[in-house]
Amino acid sequence: MRQGKTLQAPAIAGKRNGKTGAIVLETFGFLLFLLFMTPFLIVLLNSAKTAREIIYSPIALPENWALIFTNIKTIFDNPSTDYIGAFIDSAIITVLSLAVISLFSAMCAWALVRNKKKWATVIFMAFVAAMVIPFQVVMFPLVRWFKIVGDTIRIPLLGTYHGIVFAYLGFGCSMSVFILHGFIKNIPLELEEAATIDGCSQTRTFFNVVLPLLQPTFITVLILNGIWIWNDFLLPLLILGSNGRVQTIPLAVTSFAGSYLKQWDLILTSALLAMLPIIVLFIFAQRYIIKGMVEGSIK
Amino acid sequence: MKRRGWVDALFIFPCALAFVMVIIFPFFIGIYYSMTNWDGVNPAISWVGLANFTGMFSQPQFLYSFMVTLLYTAINIVLVNVVGFLLSLLATSKARLRNLYRAGFFVPNLIGGIVLGYIWQFLFNNVLLNVGQSLGIGFLSSSLISKPNTVIWAMSFVNTWQYAGYIMMIYVASIQSISDSIMDAASVDGANYFKRISKILIPMMANAFTITIFLTLTTSFKQFDLNFSLTNGGPAMRFMGKAIRSSQLLAMDIYSTANGLNRMAEAQAKAVVFFILLVVFSLVQVYINKRREVEA
Amino acid sequence: MKKLLSILIAALMMVGIMSVASAEVAIDVFQLKVEIDPMLQEFVKLYSEETEGVTVTAETLGGGADYGGAIKAKLAADQMPVIYMIEGAGGYDLWKDYIADMSTCAWVADTDLAYYSPEGKPVGFPIAMEGFGLGYNADILAAAEIDPATLTTFSAVKAAFEKLDGMKADLGLDSVVSCGTSSSGGLWWVTSQHVFNAYYAGYLDYNDSSVHDNCLAGVVDTERLTAFATYLGLLYQYSDPEILINGNYDAQVAAFAAGKAAFITQGNWIDPNMAQLGAEFPMGYISHCYLEEPTQGLFMAAPSWFVVNSQATPEQQAAAFAFLDYMATTEAGANYMVNEAGMVPAFKSVTQLPSGQFSKALVEASARGGNYNWYFGQNPDGFNQYTLGPIFELYGVDNDLDAFVADVTAAFASIVE
Repeated sequence: MRQGKTLQAPAIAGKRNGKTGAIVLETFGFLLFLLFMTPFLIVLLNSAKTAREIIYSPIALPENWALIFTNIKTIFDNPSTDYIGAFIDSAIITVLSLAVISLFSAMCAWALVRNKKKWATVIFMAFVAAMVIPFQVVMFPLVRWFKIVGDTIRIPLLGTYHGIVFAYLGFGCSMSVFILHGFIKNIPLELEEAATIDGCSQTRTFFNVVLPLLQPTFITVLILNGIWIWNDFLLPLLILGSNGRVQTIPLAVTSFAGSYLKQWDLILTSALLAMLPIIVLFIFAQRYIIKGMVEGSIK
Repeated sequence: MKRRGWVDALFIFPCALAFVMVIIFPFFIGIYYSMTNWDGVNPAISWVGLANFTGMFSQPQFLYSFMVTLLYTAINIVLVNVVGFLLSLLATSKARLRNLYRAGFFVPNLIGGIVLGYIWQFLFNNVLLNVGQSLGIGFLSSSLISKPNTVIWAMSFVNTWQYAGYIMMIYVASIQSISDSIMDAASVDGANYFKRISKILIPMMANAFTITIFLTLTTSFKQFDLNFSLTNGGPAMRFMGKAIRSSQLLAMDIYSTANGLNRMAEAQAKAVVFFILLVVFSLVQVYINKRREVEA
Repeated sequence: MKKLLSILIAALMMVGIMSVASAEVAIDVFQLKVEIDPMLQEFVKLYSEETEGVTVTAETLGGGADYGGAIKAKLAADQMPVIYMIEGAGGYDLWKDYIADMSTCAWVADTDLAYYSPEGKPVGFPIAMEGFGLGYNADILAAAEIDPATLTTFSAVKAAFEKLDGMKADLGLDSVVSCGTSSSGGLWWVTSQHVFNAYYAGYLDYNDSSVHDNCLAGVVDTERLTAFATYLGLLYQYSDPEILINGNYDAQVAAFAAGKAAFITQGNWIDPNMAQLGAEFPMGYISHCYLEEPTQGLFMAAPSWFVVNSQATPEQQAAAFAFLDYMATTEAGANYMVNEAGMVPAFKSVTQLPSGQFSKALVEASARGGNYNWYFGQNPDGFNQYTLGPIFELYGVDNDLDAFVADVTAAFASIVE
């Protein structure tokens, strides 16, 4: 773990880059940046158009920017897509899942690193191997299985917050354990041994000594899982159903795309609304997020 | 330090429980279903042995999906990593706005595949077409997702746009963990920019490449959301004398078999084969890269 | 930390319990027509307010996400809706254990388009009558001095296409026909389901399913298929290749609405789009004429039906029957179907006429008679999209008539394998 020089340019750029080189670099960088941003710009432009304008002139500037609010109002007023409710549900599901995934994965990863027994290695290998299990392989059996389990323990797993959080723990923990495992391996054992000598139990050693050290890696785990869970479509569709009780943002967005026709004005505006919170969050927490990513990603 | 096995077991328990309940059990139930005539509705299920497995290898669509998925994965391993690497050089360069660039390149990664697919379908079919026609650019005057020979590239382009920023982040981390003094020393020794990159930087980043290639391999091979909302498998082409869908990657072929053709058990069998392939490719890749790392 | 953990678990339990709520007699409708969703929402709200002790909620599956898969997931999740949709025999066979007999309902006597089980029981409530032919822009035909009433045979249509093609510049046309067939544009169904239905049903009595029955038995009539393929090739030849191979629904409809094409291969569901795009020129339908025998028949049917889940509670089933009766037989129901949702109702007692021109053309054709049924919904699940779809798309690219006929023949032969 290296500290201190995270956000400055290292010396690979060298010292011989002359003025021309610098100009080329700046221009190239800026053009590339524009290329990356163009799709967002086009979504924004077209969110302020009627369906007719979108089809006939998709790249023109909107005639009336205020139309964006009309489109947003149409989306908010749509009775079958409770957009605010979907936002709250998405937030609840994402936050709870992240809390559960990071805590339990850290506990699991720590125990797997420090336990030198063979079974710990086997379990770790199982987690790693499971990272390549595609969702499609388990999705339909999963729903049936959840139904059976829910009936057996008399706690329904389908259509509930705890059910989907549990599912996200199952799908998210292998990657998270893998990342945390790599990080914990590099924590000097002496730190923990010192704590043990001071009289800490194994559990307290973890919570008092190890957990605080994991903070930068948690950011990585949170970012990776957070992006996935916030945007996930198929799992909420299967576990929650597409109906109103619990609905997430991606389910809400797709409700404007019909099987035969696509209401581009509403799709693009709702896509904009779906992107907005996560992009705003990114802009505000950017330094923190990037720092965490940079420090935590290679483990 | 004395370690208590039962405390470790307790620590592992929550993840292991969820993992077993959400992935392992459904996975094995799925393997069982792959050898039955399960249709997802009818509770009467009967055993059919390996019939679902033998059938798929004579289907032109499945074989083509298999090939095109390999092609797509290969293209993306190269494209995403090369672009991600170049972006990481830019993001760690002396460019004034490098922090803005780094953030900007990462942003597409924040958006979900279904939403991105809709946006890019709109871009390819409406916007780019409009631009191509008004500027008279022949290359763009027909949609790039409408021809079998360009559709895979168009999908790869979108995937690179989305994913390169994330890969960039991993490279940035790796570059920044390399001591300045090594690069400075090389600079003083008179190594030029490209030499410094190829002879010093890249070999020192071997560990990062193992990770990024693994990530691009598995995500490309498993690609579904983007495929589903961007091309929906089209356009059509002829393969082994049959009309088939030219951009239907394996994950989507499984989905189509289950939901479109309503052959759940056969889809489950394809999923099992899909899983085995993914494991084999991943293991081979990690093995090769790890050996490289040791040599380097 | 332990405290935090227990709070977290408690919080999880709480939200879990809270999310399992229940009501009095609650029934839910699950359907996939996104375009009528807001109107249906209003209608179920109205009904729930008017009806003591019954709450109806409606849910629409959007996203082109697949409806069959979504119901399967709901079934697995124990959230099987009380009222849901089937689109023909494939859906009926799959769900027959979850489909109630509606013989006792009042609406049954009021329609010819109910879905009947093989045992002859009415089980499906026709959601709407839909129909299509080859839509035309009457202003453009008039400008080219073509009378649509004369376009009743293949050679007449062919001559008209040729004439229009020669006058494209004068008439401001990009192409004669606006047709799409690509799966990436989401238009595979236009040709492989709707236009191809002319092969199954065209030139036959409304209830004559012999041609389609033979298809399902693996046998096609090569002569008839070749004639159809020649006609389809003609449509393709005079279509804008951009729209044909790339285009999505918007592009196809917009080209016609903007007067850039004289004909369109779409049904009456495009009426709301015509209004949205400001197309006010007179329009109507001719048939899909691929033989020399004159015909004006349009292809009309109820493409989808509401069915009631027979495994719901008896109270829910009774409430669902009452709700469907209300929709079919009351003024409020007619107002919803016709004025709000813009559909052509499948019920004889409904006298209100939809405002869309294509819908009106269907009502007129219905009065005239000599129309044709829809059969494509009876093909095996996924056959139209995954087997025929690529064949029709490929024909649009390579124009190889012999290959098309061979492919379609082989496709049907593969059904019985």
